[in-house]
Formats: sequence, C-alpha cells, structure tokens
Amino acid sequence: MAPQPVVTGLSPKEGPPGTRVIIRGEFLGTRMHDLIGLKICGSDCLLSAEWKSPNKIIARTGPAKGKGDIIVTTISGGVGTSTVQFRAYHETIGPLKESAVWIEESPSQNFAWGRRTLTQSGLTQEDPLGLSIEGNEQKIPEDLRDLFPDACGDLSQENFSPAWFMLENHLATSFEDLKAGLAYLKRKVESQKEGQLSFLKSNAGSVIDQLDTLMNIRDKLQEDVKLHGTEPLNVLEQSIENSIHESQKIFNDVLLRKEKADSTRSVLFALSRHKFLFCLPNTVDRRAKAGEYDIVVNDYSRAKNLFGKTELPIFRQVLEEVDQRILLIRRQLHEKVVKMPQSVEQQKKLIKALTSLELQQSGTAIGERLRNTDPAWDAIEARAKYLEATFRQTFEQYANKDVNTQDKSKSRDPNQPPNRVNFCEELCDIAASQLPDLWRLGQLYFTGELRGPHDPKPGDFKRMVLNAIDKFCIYLRLAILIAADQRALRQSSGLAWPIGSASATHQFLPWIPQCLRYTRIAYATLIGLDLPSEALDIIQKLIDEVRLFCFSIIFKRATDRCKKLGVHETWEMTVEDYPGATQLPAALEALLVETLDEVQTVCMQPEAREGNLLEPHSDGQREVTQRLQELLSAFSGVIAELAYPCHDDETPTHNVSQLLGFPNSQQPESVNAGAGSGAAIGWEQRMLCCLANYAYCNKSFLPHIGQLFVKYGYPLPTLAIESARYNVNQLFTNLLEEYVEHKGDPLVGTIEPSMYLGRFQWDHEMELGQGQLRPYAHECCDNLVGVYSEIYSISPSLLRPILESIVQTISEELARLMSCVQRFSYTGAIQAHVDIRLLRDSLENYANETAKNYFMEALEAINPPLNGEQKRKADEILERVKRQMRLQVLCFSVTEP
Amino acid sequence: MSKKPTAGPALHKVIMVGSGGVGKSALTLQFMYDEFVEDYEPTKADSYRKKVVLDGEEVQIDILDTAGQEDYAAIRDNYFRSGEGFLCVFSITDDESFQATQEFREQILRVKNDESIPFLLVGNKCDLNDKRKVPLNECQQRAQQWTVPYVETSAKTRENVDKVFFDLMREIRSRKTEDSKATSGRAKDRCKKRRLKCTLL
Repeated sequence: MAPQPVVTGLSPKEGPPGTRVIIRGEFLGTRMHDLIGLKICGSDCLLSAEWKSPNKIIARTGPAKGKGDIIVTTISGGVGTSTVQFRAYHETIGPLKESAVWIEESPSQNFAWGRRTLTQSGLTQEDPLGLSIEGNEQKIPEDLRDLFPDACGDLSQENFSPAWFMLENHLATSFEDLKAGLAYLKRKVESQKEGQLSFLKSNAGSVIDQLDTLMNIRDKLQEDVKLHGTEPLNVLEQSIENSIHESQKIFNDVLLRKEKADSTRSVLFALSRHKFLFCLPNTVDRRAKAGEYDIVVNDYSRAKNLFGKTELPIFRQVLEEVDQRILLIRRQLHEKVVKMPQSVEQQKKLIKALTSLELQQSGTAIGERLRNTDPAWDAIEARAKYLEATFRQTFEQYANKDVNTQDKSKSRDPNQPPNRVNFCEELCDIAASQLPDLWRLGQLYFTGELRGPHDPKPGDFKRMVLNAIDKFCIYLRLAILIAADQRALRQSSGLAWPIGSASATHQFLPWIPQCLRYTRIAYATLIGLDLPSEALDIIQKLIDEVRLFCFSIIFKRATDRCKKLGVHETWEMTVEDYPGATQLPAALEALLVETLDEVQTVCMQPEAREGNLLEPHSDGQREVTQRLQELLSAFSGVIAELAYPCHDDETPTHNVSQLLGFPNSQQPESVNAGAGSGAAIGWEQRMLCCLANYAYCNKSFLPHIGQLFVKYGYPLPTLAIESARYNVNQLFTNLLEEYVEHKGDPLVGTIEPSMYLGRFQWDHEMELGQGQLRPYAHECCDNLVGVYSEIYSISPSLLRPILESIVQTISEELARLMSCVQRFSYTGAIQAHVDIRLLRDSLENYANETAKNYFMEALEAINPPLNGEQKRKADEILERVKRQMRLQVLCFSVTEP
Repeated sequence: MSKKPTAGPALHKVIMVGSGGVGKSALTLQFMYDEFVEDYEPTKADSYRKKVVLDGEEVQIDILDTAGQEDYAAIRDNYFRSGEGFLCVFSITDDESFQATQEFREQILRVKNDESIPFLLVGNKCDLNDKRKVPLNECQQRAQQWTVPYVETSAKTRENVDKVFFDLMREIRSRKTEDSKATSGRAKDRCKKRRLKCTLL
C-alpha cells in the first residue's frame, strides 16, 4: 500500500467558496481514479477535483467557512493529512465591490423581520483603503456626532463623511500607510474604470439576462399602453384614491356602531343595577328567611358599593329601607347566634354573616341604632351558659329520678345501671361533645377568624372554660364520690345528690369503675383539644380521686370477702414449709392477687395524662396502706374467730383430764362428735392450727404479701405489714396463753389431788420395792405426753412455746407442794426425790430458767435433806424408773422435730 | 507520516517577498517539489509546509508565498507580522524589481520593528545572465548596506535554491535560541516603542 496522502501546499490559501485551489503534496493518488475523496474545510470537493499528478490536484472550494484541513483520500494510500490549512470566508458586497447581479444593500430590508442586525455590514466590509484595521483599538475621545452633526461613518449611507471614517477607523494608521491606502484606492477605481469591458465579459451571462428582462419589460409596457392608454398612472392613482375614501367610510361606520353598542350596554347595566336596588329589600328578606345569609351579605355589600354614595333621594330612600331590613336581620341573626343548641359550623356561619353585616352598616345613621356587638363572644357566652345549663338540667333530672325510683321500688334489677351511672354517662357525653365545640369556637374567635369589633378577652374565655370543666367535675363528684365528704362540696356548689338508701348506695358501688371509664373517655376527648393544662388538671384531679375511690372500694370489697374466708376453712394443712398452717393464707393470697389484678385494670394503670397514684407520701399511698392494713387485720380477725368459735358450747372443763393416763386429745373428739358441731377437728387442734397460721403469717406470709405488692408496682407497704405483724403477734400471744391455760391448768390442777390420793402422806414410810414413780408423777408425765403428741401432730414448731410455759407451771406447783410438806419419812424423802428428779430430767429440754429454779426449790424443800444412803438409793431407783419409762422420756428428749 | 505540525519538530516561518513576476512562486515550487513552472499565474497568497532535515535536525518549514502585485500591498502587513524570516526576491533582469526591494525592506522593518530580522536578498533568474540589468556589485553593495547576505539563484536550474532556504532557516534558528535567552521584557519594550511611534503620527 502506498503511503498516506499528505497535502503540503495550497495556492491560494484562502478565498470565498468557489475559489480555484491548486493543491500540492505527496502521494495524492497514482492516477485520476485513485483519488476517491477530497475535503476542504470539511466540505466535499471531489466533484470539482482535477487530478494532475501525484503532487498536484486542482479543485474548487465548497460552501465552507473558517479554517480547515485539506483531506485527500486515495485507494492506494487511504485517508490523508495536511500540513497547511485553507481559510474560507464569505465575501460581502460593499459599495466599492463590483458585482454583476443586483444586491439589496439597504439595511432597511431587515426591518421586515422586526429587528435590525446588531452591526451593519461594517464588520465584514473590507476597508476601502485596503488597510488592515488591526491595532486600531484607539478611539477618538470626542463624540463624532458633535464634530459632524449631519454626517456618519457608514460607507453605505448618503451622508457619508470621509473625515468621520478616517477618525473612526484610521486614527492610529501611519501617514505612509494612508498614502499606500490612497494609492490602492486610486488603483482600484482606475482598474474598475478600465476593466469594465473585462467585467462585462466575465459576467456576460448575467448581463444578457438583464437585457432580456429589460426587453420584456419594454414589451409589456407597450402592450399596457395599448390597453390602458398612455397614462396608466392616473388610472392607478384614481383607484387608490377611491379605495382610501371607501375604507375611511367603512371605518367610520364601524366606529359609530361600536359607540351605539357601548351605550346600549351601559344602559342595560344601569337598568339591572337599579332593578337590583329596588328589589333588594324584598330579596334580602326572602334570603334571610331562607337562611342564605351569605347572599344577603353579598347583596348588601354590592348595594353599598353601588349606591352608597348616591345623592338621589329615591335611591337613598330605598337604601334606607334596605338598611332597616338589614337591621332587622341583624337582630334576628343575633338571636340565632346565641340560640342553643346548634352546631359550631352553623354558628360560625351566622357569626360571619352578622359580623360582616355589622361592619358594613357601621358608620351609617341607621347602623348606629343597633349597637355593634361581638357576636362571636356572645356565641361563646351563650354556649358556655348552655353547657352549664345542660349540666345542671341533667343533674336535676337524674337526681329527681333517683328520688322517685327510690320511693317506688326497692327491688330494682341489679343488672340495670343505677341512675348515678346513667347520669355519669350522659354528663360525660355532654362534656365530650359540647366542651370541644365551645373550645373550637373560642379558638376561632381568638385566632381572628370570627373576631368582632371588640378586643378579645382571653382571660374571660379561659375562666369560662375552667368554670365549665369545674362544674363538670363537681357534678361528677357529687354523683360518684358518695363516700367522700360531700359537705364541703355541697356548700360550695349548693347542690346535692339526694341521699339514697344504703342498699342503693351499695348497688351503686360496683358501677364506679364504669363511671371512671366514662370520665376517662371524656377526658381523652378533652386532651385531644389542646386545652390549657390548668383545665385538664381539674379533671385529672377528679379522675385521680375517682381512681383512688375505686381502689378503696375494691379493697373494701376484698376485705368483706376476706371476712368470709373463715367459712371456707377446711383445716387442711397444706403449707409444706410450715406445718400446722392451713390453706387460709393461700386463700387470702389468691383473693389479694385477684383484687390487685382488678385494681390494676380498673384504676391503678395510669392512662393518658394521668398521674401515678402511688407517689410517696401521697393520698394514694396512704390509702393503699390503710386498705391493706384493714384487709390484714380483717384476716387476723378471721383467724381469731376461727380459733374461738365454740367456746360457748365447749367448756374447757370437759377437756380436763378426768381419767388418768388417757391421752387428752381423744377426749374432745368424742365430745365434738357428740355435740354434732360438724367440725371434723377438735378445738385444740383448731387453736393449734390458728396458732400455726399466726406464726406462719408473722414469719413468711406477710413479707410474701409485701413482695406481691412490689410485684404489682406498689411501693413495699412496710407500715401495713409491720402493723399487721404486730397485730398477729399480739393475737398469737393471746391465743397461746389461752391454749396454755386450757391445757396446763387442768394438768397442774390434778397433781395435788393425785399426790394425796388414797390418804397418802409423805411422812409415812412407804414401800419402795422395785422402785417406781408415784402415780401423780406418772400421771403428770402421761398428760404432758398427751399434750405433746397433740401439738406435735399439728405443728411441731409450737412445741417449745407451749410446753415451756406448761413445764414452768408444773415445776412451780411441785415446788409449792413440796414446801407444804412438813416432814418426810425416810422412804418418802427418797420417793419424792426420785419423782422430782425424774420430772426435772425428762423435761429438761423444755425447762427455762424459772422452771429449773422451781425444780431446785422443790428438791430443797424435802425435809430433812437426804443423807448419803438415801441418795444412793434414790439414784438406784431413778435409774430403774428411767429405764422403765424410757419411751416417755425419749419423747421429751426430742428437742427439735 | 506527519501529524499536526504543532506537536512535531520546530517550525520556521518563511515569507517570500518581492515584485510581481520575479519568480517567488517558482523558487518555492522548485524548493518544495523540484518542479519548474513555466507559465505565469499571479499569486494571491499561497501556503506551503514540509519537513526538512536542517544540519541533521528535522524541522518544519512553512513558506508563505505572497503576491507581488501592488494590488495587494495593503494586506501585506498582516502577512509580514507572522513571518520569522524573509526572502526578498528580485529579478536580475529587471531593475525596477531591484528598486522595489527597498520598499519591501522598509515595510518589513516597520512591521517587525527589528533591524536584525533574518533576511536574505535574493537575485533570481541568474541563468539569464546575458539579459542582466542589475549589476552584481550594486546588489552586493545594497546587501552590505543592510548587513544581509546576498545570493543569486535560478529557479529554472535550481542553482542555490536549497541554499537560500536553508541559510535563512539557520538564521531563524539561531535567532530563536538568542531570543529564548533574552528576557521577555525586551520584547515588551519593543512593542511599546512602536506604540509611541503610532501615537506621534
């Protein structure tokens, strides 16, 4: 493949489109047909290209503009490059340029397009002197128009001034250059003069065309002359004159008609206006009757605008009448505005109508007759009054109904909500529907939408709202909080709900949560209104009170139920970690959990914008403490009741051991069975169960209750628990004493008779024999074992407190008895010694200090004191007796079961 | 394979000046294409550019062949401004063309405002020595007066054609290295001087 074509020479290097260019270079094609492309400045010139040699092509430039490469493309070498560039420019025709065709030079041609080119052909125009104007930035400082008032520097203008031109364009050109320019200009003019022939030659085609055209024109003219005579211009002028005249006529005619139409229109307009005015009084009345106050306002303002300033008496008269009617309407409107009940929207519409009517009428003589009011404010007041009245009316209605129904029938359907509840519901409904209306109206008033001519009174409005809410709360309080001290309320409000019968009150109590719910619904509605917190706080306070009331009612009910718990006592000892305790505490716990659940759902859970009732040192906490205390004391009461239910018919004397050696525990059972009391368990056992319950409560159950409260989110009711524990302790001690008394007294009382049974005397010698106890000691021991077994079967933990006190009395009795004996026989002393020591040793575990002292005292009371032999004998016997009574002694030696 | 000249080797811009018909285009074409054109066609402004090897260094020469006719005298200023070196050609068979070299010289000096611009006085058509009208010593005297070299050439025989172009390029090259050393302030100064002259007029 041959190398790429490259263009290295151009002759000439610039020119207008159509310039003949000699292109020189290398590898421009091996032959004519090798050349397949030629582009000069981007325009294709292959058609005009004439291949001369591989170094030379002659071509004519295309319609391009600007500087550009010459790209030669050949089959052999492909697309080429160029080292030189051609500059294509468009020539413009100036006054110094000869041209064979006619060219429109006047710039006025551009006016047809509505805008003039910014620069005239001056920029593209060549300098007539052939001098470049480069470097002639320097401008003459003065305004050339001052120097040459009637001239200009534009070559194409008739008033062209050479001096202007020179100053404008060649201020900086040297004189030599100017001389050269002048020579150039001269030559150009000369050559044009001389070269006319050659010019004609080169443009022969155009010239012949022009000649032909001229000939044509001449021929046509001659034909025309033949047809229209020699003076066609006169005819033309005549017809132009005629058409001007005619068009003038038509124009005037149109003008005339337009004027007529205008006047007709204005008359019609005036007519309709007058009709409007004269009909206005009736229209206004009709519209007002129909309630279309907007239209009344519109019509009235229109009439005011149209005829407000008229001086014509007839118009004034009509207008006055209209004013009168409007005055009437205003009165009506005002009445309507304050008339209740009606919706806020309706009221708003009326207020707006009234306000605009007042505004329009103010200032006129008639308008002054009715003082300008503030309808919105009046509406607010009316609404507030109505609200209050509705509250009161509802209250009275229900209160009366309550009185009537009480009189009529006591036996009401318990499922039917009491009147108080119905009242609550309705009152809350009223509050939830009407208070928002009032508030909205107030908002509209204060935000300016309904503002009247007077200054708004936000303080008054606020007071009004607060008052309404206050009233609402008072009525609710009267209805709901029956237990509260209503005297103060009654005094402050002057109202009272009729005091009903106890049964009615009782019937009402379960409905209080329902009332609370109603109140809360109303409260939620009011919260949504964006009321001031001051107002909401009032209701919140009420709600808190009602919640607390609810709480106390529920707890009171729980207390009542608690009191009945004793009925369900089964005496089953189900508490595993505390033997002897029954399911009673568990029943209480279940009851408490149930109650707490209910309380939680009904009132304790704070809803929107409600306070926590359990703030420290608050009424709520005090109430909780008090109620719990009540509940727990009721519970202890229940236990106490259970402990002594049958004291009347079961005298303890029955239970005193009459038969020695019989376990006491079996005795009352048979008695109870005989009495047919139905209880499957003896009173001693019950007592023991109750004792165990008390102890259990004290030890673990009450703290457990405390934890339960904590679990439900209450603060630990320490005070209530502690006082309950104290209470329980007290009761425990009392009961214990009772039990000990019932058990210990007969036991101790039998010692003396048994000792001297069968005329026994300590100073008589007696048979010691194998050595055994005296029957009294035996009996005492056996009795104790009986008590022991009874207690042990119920609650071993009660052994110590009970036995200790019994042992103490026994020891005391022994000491007393021994000290009463004046003299002991030899054997008697030994016997007594053995008896006492056996009792002392076997009961050692349950003997406190006092008991031990008494035993010692008893031993020392043996008179005369034992000598050595006696002692040895006594020890011997004691050993033997202990062996014999191994089982009894063993029983007592079990310290802790 | 040459691409754009700007990115390539050094470019020297040569301008052919002289009266009409002295053989500027003939010299150019002979130099460029080893071609002698017999028929006369007045030039307007032709542009040539090609790569040559100057003293072992590849450079580009850009030749602007201008019109000798008086018609175009006014537009010469523009052309002269871009030139870096000038070949001022006259015909030794035409005294008028020799006299005209004075005018060209002056115009060039005025435009370039530089006495030492690379410049060669070229007496063409030396093959027609028998028709000589301008004596050799007169030519040499003028060259001496201008302190420029004088060379006689023949576009027809190609005598001294390459020499004039290469000599001029060498001058341009040495001038450029000199210029790059000189401060730019001097160029500015020159510019100012010329301005002053203009305002005076």
